[in-house]
Amino acid sequence: MPTVTYKGKTYEVDEDGFLQDPEVWDENFAHYVKDSEGISELTDEHWKVINYLQDYYKKNGIAPMVRIMTKVTGFKLKKIYELFPSGPGKGACKMAGLAKPTGCV
Amino acid sequence: MADRITDIGPPKYDEMWPQYIKDNYGKWKYHEILEPGVLKHVTEDGFELFTVRCGGTRLMTTLHLEDICKIADQYCDGCFRFTTRNNIEFMVTDTEKLEALKKALDDNGNLPKGGTGACVTNIVHTQGWVHCHTPAIDASGPVKAVMDDLFEYWNSHKLPAQVRISLACCLNMCGAVHCSDIAILGVHRKPPVIEHSHLDKICEIPTAIASCPTAAIKPAKVDDYKSVQVNAERCMFCGNCYTMCPSMPLADAEGDGIALWVGGKVSNSRTMPMFSKLAVPYIPNEPPRWDTTVKTIRTILEAYANGANRYERMGEWINRIGWERFFEVTELEFTEHHIDDYRLAVTTWRNSTQFKF
Ligand code: SF4
Ligand code: SF4
Repeated sequence: MPTVTYKGKTYEVDEDGFLQDPEVWDENFAHYVKDSEGISELTDEHWKVINYLQDYYKKNGIAPMVRIMTKVTGFKLKKIYELFPSGPGKGACKMAGLAKPTGCV
Repeated sequence: MADRITDIGPPKYDEMWPQYIKDNYGKWKYHEILEPGVLKHVTEDGFELFTVRCGGTRLMTTLHLEDICKIADQYCDGCFRFTTRNNIEFMVTDTEKLEALKKALDDNGNLPKGGTGACVTNIVHTQGWVHCHTPAIDASGPVKAVMDDLFEYWNSHKLPAQVRISLACCLNMCGAVHCSDIAILGVHRKPPVIEHSHLDKICEIPTAIASCPTAAIKPAKVDDYKSVQVNAERCMFCGNCYTMCPSMPLADAEGDGIALWVGGKVSNSRTMPMFSKLAVPYIPNEPPRWDTTVKTIRTILEAYANGANRYERMGEWINRIGWERFFEVTELEFTEHHIDDYRLAVTTWRNSTQFKF
């Protein structure tokens, strides 16, 4: 498995840069993904989405459907894409340390 | 994000039409098939268009595409098109050019003419071992083997009606296997292997559980790991759980193989569209030529060619003679695997005293 080192900490990731163990997640990992996603700064709005994804994942064991995520955060899908250019899956979920989305993506 | 262009869609559908298609759009009066692989369309004003259809391998290199473009440049004003079964069509507007084009295609050797009328045209197929992660069989390999064997039906019109063959390498059935005259389908025969130590880390357990059509999966604690358990008695090896959860692989060299299905169609002509139904539950994977599969398909095709009336599709023929007769004339074995046992199964059993001994 490839690893990435950021601010002195090493994270195990897969070939797409998704964290291999959600428990290892910390804020620095979000900052590391931010750089590779071309986001200059994590704003409160970013954190609102990231924190929501983490909460939902801890409670339900799955990532929320996009409709639920937009409803609860109040951010329309367009806004989510403005915050996370790669979208809610490859962008936001990766940053929040969730499992990589599966199925016929 | 600088200079990023997005949401522009495909080019407009008529942008690459040759001028004569633009001029005659919506004015076609009739068409005929001049010979296998060659069509003629005529407009109300008497304008004639000749189309030559050639087999495509679907998976092709840029070098092959370059070849195709060269022929299109030389004979067809730089235009050609791909069909919905991934054949290649070149068009010309006079018979002289048509003869020159036909000769150029023959000389090329990689663009066989055919695929029209009551034939076996191209096989709609999938990724297989070339690119997908859930296949039970390969796609390009079996397709090449079957088309080699049935080539005589590709460039002739000797069947009762067109026979559509499709292949999907797993029962996600990307493509057309569920609605084809003959379908080649990759199947597993063993339940998934569960990698407990990291399942919870890279899978959403509720998603894996919900992916199972027979509810064979339940959450379980195994050696202190949060994981799942599969009831092998309930599992019918669909592989859906692996699609959702990378820690449940089930591909297996000995277990995996081919099931053959028959009698589907999508057109509304004469009879309603039909799903294809199981003819052969399992044939082992036999790379690189899949001999048993190739042989069995020929057996089915020949039984159909001998028994069906003119215009009768595979499914119509079987419905007319009855499934017991189908198994008799093809000498395929009928097993318990053929009897539907999924939810609405009862609608497929026979509630009648009508049958043939
Ligand atoms: S049929 Fe299955 S294995 Fe084949 S390409 Fe589709 S999803 Fe992949
Ligand atoms: S292979 Fe299919 S039937 Fe078997 S456990 Fe997985 S989802 Fe269920």
